[in-house]
Amino acid sequence: MDYLRKMKGSSQSPPSVNLVEVLWSWIGSFLGIAAVSLIHFKILDQTGLIMIIGSFGASAVLIYGAVRSPLAQPRNLIGGHVLSAIIGVTAFQLFSQQPWLAASLAVSTSIALMHLTKTLHPPGGATALIAVIGGDGVHSLGYLYVLIPTALGATVMLLIALLVNNIPKNRRYPEFWL
Amino acid sequence: MAMTIPTKDLSRSSGLDISEQDIIKAMKAIQGYIDITPGDFREIYQAAYSLAVQRLFNSFTATDLMTRSVLLVDQEMELDQAAALLAKKHISGAPVVDHQEKIVGIVSEKDFLKEMGVGTEPSIMQIATHCLENKSRMVGKLHSRTVGDIMTRPPVIGAPEMTIGAISTLFINRKINRLPIVNKNGLTVGIVTRTDLAHSYSAFDGRM
Repeated sequence: MDYLRKMKGSSQSPPSVNLVEVLWSWIGSFLGIAAVSLIHFKILDQTGLIMIIGSFGASAVLIYGAVRSPLAQPRNLIGGHVLSAIIGVTAFQLFSQQPWLAASLAVSTSIALMHLTKTLHPPGGATALIAVIGGDGVHSLGYLYVLIPTALGATVMLLIALLVNNIPKNRRYPEFWL
Repeated sequence: MAMTIPTKDLSRSSGLDISEQDIIKAMKAIQGYIDITPGDFREIYQAAYSLAVQRLFNSFTATDLMTRSVLLVDQEMELDQAAALLAKKHISGAPVVDHQEKIVGIVSEKDFLKEMGVGTEPSIMQIATHCLENKSRMVGKLHSRTVGDIMTRPPVIGAPEMTIGAISTLFINRKINRLPIVNKNGLTVGIVTRTDLAHSYSAFDGRM
């Protein structure tokens, strides 16, 4: 049956990268996460603001580990996070009485919107989810969550990606801006 | 679409059939993680290749293919003269024109064979047998008649801007071997033969 046959897969994994690539992925993500977490822990700690959210770890995989990926480009990184944050906050504010519904609407609607705007960025789904399940610290930010940490954090990570990913001869970033 | 037949032929003969192994080797040669499976890449490559072939087919027109020096035969010419002329020029057919050089038909080996009573697609042996049996009568039929009497009409003709894809389709559908290319004034500016088409295909393979 075609339906079951499709579950077997039809292709294979792409080849693994070489060690130089691994090293630069490590360096980029170390510096990118270091930048946002330094701001988070050293500057914003006393203010009640946050700079780092879990979805940045996922963004780091893409923008430092798969720099050619369409999903890792600036349009997707910034656009995906910002749009998803808006959806996430909105979903929580409308359905805070039903957290399961707010959570699922936040993620699914974010994916749909990212598709429609050509900004698909997988960590965006986490950004939307965190707006719902992130606890009081996140909820109290309201729509500020869209700007800080989401937009600002993503922008800092983007800056590090631009600086680091263009150092090696065989790497370049981005593939496109808009 | 008009291009399906040549596209299919080309795809079989050239680089379209890349294997996933080829793709993996190529991906390894490019540093960095490429997030596409070899299978997906292959699908894109094949689709893009077909499109490229079609684009080339559509960008190539009769003007690029045709032989410009065309032997035109007057419709008043007697058959024996015409046969001698075609034999001398080593060609198997030619456009037939009236006194204003406007094309009125096409005369080819097939028309001669039909006139000689051996059918339109005889083998050499059939012709030989036919000749031995009807020695004089057969050739006699050709005397005192003109090209205009036996030519195929109306002629299948093409315009200079006709694409190679459209020409191929016409060749197959109309079962013809040559296509006079006629300009807006009705004057023959060239001719595309099956040989011309074959040459253009090999040129494509070189370019791809």
